[in-house]
Amino acid sequence: MSRPTHGLRDWLLQRISAVYLAGFLVFFMLRIAIKPVQDFHAWHAWFTHPAMTVASTAFILAVLLHGWFGMRDIVLDYVHRLWPRLLLLSLVGLLLTGCGLWALHVLLPVAR
Amino acid sequence: MTNQTPAPVYLNLFRIRFPVGAVTSIAHRLSGACLFLSLPFWIYLLDQSLTGPDGFAQALGILQSTWVRIGLLLAAWSFFHHLLAGVRFLLLDTGVGCELRQARRSAWLVNIAGLAMTLACAGWLF
Repeated sequence: MSRPTHGLRDWLLQRISAVYLAGFLVFFMLRIAIKPVQDFHAWHAWFTHPAMTVASTAFILAVLLHGWFGMRDIVLDYVHRLWPRLLLLSLVGLLLTGCGLWALHVLLPVAR
Repeated sequence: MTNQTPAPVYLNLFRIRFPVGAVTSIAHRLSGACLFLSLPFWIYLLDQSLTGPDGFAQALGILQSTWVRIGLLLAAWSFFHHLLAGVRFLLLDTGVGCELRQARRSAWLVNIAGLAMTLACAGWLF
């Protein structure tokens, strides 16, 4: 079984997603720190804003990419036997896919 | 090539000296894994908070519990360290601060700043 490897592509995606995650989270936290969310309606309105829907959907995608590359590298570096390695990689992939779908399920109906 | 001595195998973890950059690096991995494992919690919290005014109050209630706050502190350290160390690695990637003395100094700065920001969070949480 052979397949092409994508070292440079993965390396770049890891870093591009990192920059986006950092930018989004710093913005998110500063916004909450500077203008605390008063109640449910303000919170809900924030997540209903179209710009926020686009930004948070991109955030979910970035988390999936960044989480996969990071956890994959950790597993490949420390777990060398085939079956434990495959098992752990599958668990990481499963958890990330599940989290991604769950997060979209939470966010997209709110946006409508 | 034939006369090469085998690579030294010296794996007594208590005798290995970690340079400060290695501490930054291993903590970057550890904090990343913690953030990965915390994902379901954040989505659960977001889900809860967006269901309605009651759910919003409930989500805030979850954040009041002592055990959750201890977990939040771990998440805060993971986030701050991962962010700072990540910025440092990006700078190293672009060739900024690769000189040994600078790299050591930035590693110390990242390790200490991450802990300091966590301490500030602790003051705010408890």
